[in-house]
Amino acid sequence: MSFFKVNENCNGCLACVQNCPASALNYFDQEKNRKIMHNMSLCARCGHCWRICPQDAIEFKVLLTGRFDLVKTLDLVHCKVCGEPIYTASLGETVSNEIHNSIEPLCPDHKGAEPVNVWKKLAAKRNVQ
Amino acid sequence: MIVGEHKPIEEIIDLVKDFSNVLVVGCQTCVAVSLTGGDRAARSMTEALTHTFKEDKKLHLFENSMLERQCEKDWIKPFFELPEGVDAILSLACGAGVQTMSDIFKGIPVLPGLNTTFLGAQDQPGVFNEKCAGCGDCVLGLTGGVCPIARCAKKLFNGPCGGSTNGKCEISISMGHDVECAWYLIVERLTELDKLDNYEKISETRNWIPGGAGGPRKLIHKGETPF
Repeated sequence: MSFFKVNENCNGCLACVQNCPASALNYFDQEKNRKIMHNMSLCARCGHCWRICPQDAIEFKVLLTGRFDLVKTLDLVHCKVCGEPIYTASLGETVSNEIHNSIEPLCPDHKGAEPVNVWKKLAAKRNVQ
Repeated sequence: MIVGEHKPIEEIIDLVKDFSNVLVVGCQTCVAVSLTGGDRAARSMTEALTHTFKEDKKLHLFENSMLERQCEKDWIKPFFELPEGVDAILSLACGAGVQTMSDIFKGIPVLPGLNTTFLGAQDQPGVFNEKCAGCGDCVLGLTGGVCPIARCAKKLFNGPCGGSTNGKCEISISMGHDVECAWYLIVERLTELDKLDNYEKISETRNWIPGGAGGPRKLIHKGETPF
């Protein structure tokens, strides 16, 4: 999504392009069209374009109040007792590799209860024997 | 960048204690990078103050908000809405931001939450060092890129002094950490650049008017390209 929004008032005068101190605005005249481009990576969010625009065409508020972009989706591991999401599968794998041991997927609330479960398992084993 | 640090919490408590509805406003530029004035800092300051005044007989309400830059006057009105009932603003901006906010919100006290410390650089993550004194007449071209004003305790122009030992300034002892001797660094750097001739040039008495000794400074850009 673009964080730099120009409304229908823009008449292509290029005041913004000529006055951008970060060279974040550019334009191309291509056949029948003038195309105005904005580069968010170069933009210093200084607002000079908004100040200088004689047409009030730059919706600077959009740039200041932009939403979050989705940058990555990862698989989650849930607490085996309550189902609370605790960490990503990838993080679990990294930690397991670091400590050379597998880790039980337990949330902080149920981590303390784990020794009881171990004791129960041991007791069950003993009963079987 | 402008580096700021939090005022001691006791001082902030004293500043806000008489107000019932305080808006903590972060500034998202320089002081956000120096980890003291951004949105996150504003949220944690709000939480800390809410917690502090929880048991107080008087009702204190703390909210937080942020501005991209508090030092740009024409941004504040169109892009910042002051919630109803706010009787004081605690600004987490540098001194320029606090004063600009004061100019805009004339009927409401704008209180500083930070001490503006210096113009510096982040040399390691979370470690900021003073690098520039904003003197208005830069000499870095002659001194190999090391500032004798911001980085020499005595602001010497023809250094070093006798307090330089093994590249460290004598103030290291009182400061409790190593302070590099700016002139040691200058000589080292000029040697690297094969510009040691610069070291032989005697600097004359400096005019401190561009450095602010002549009163508050003002800069007006007009009719220049590309501005």
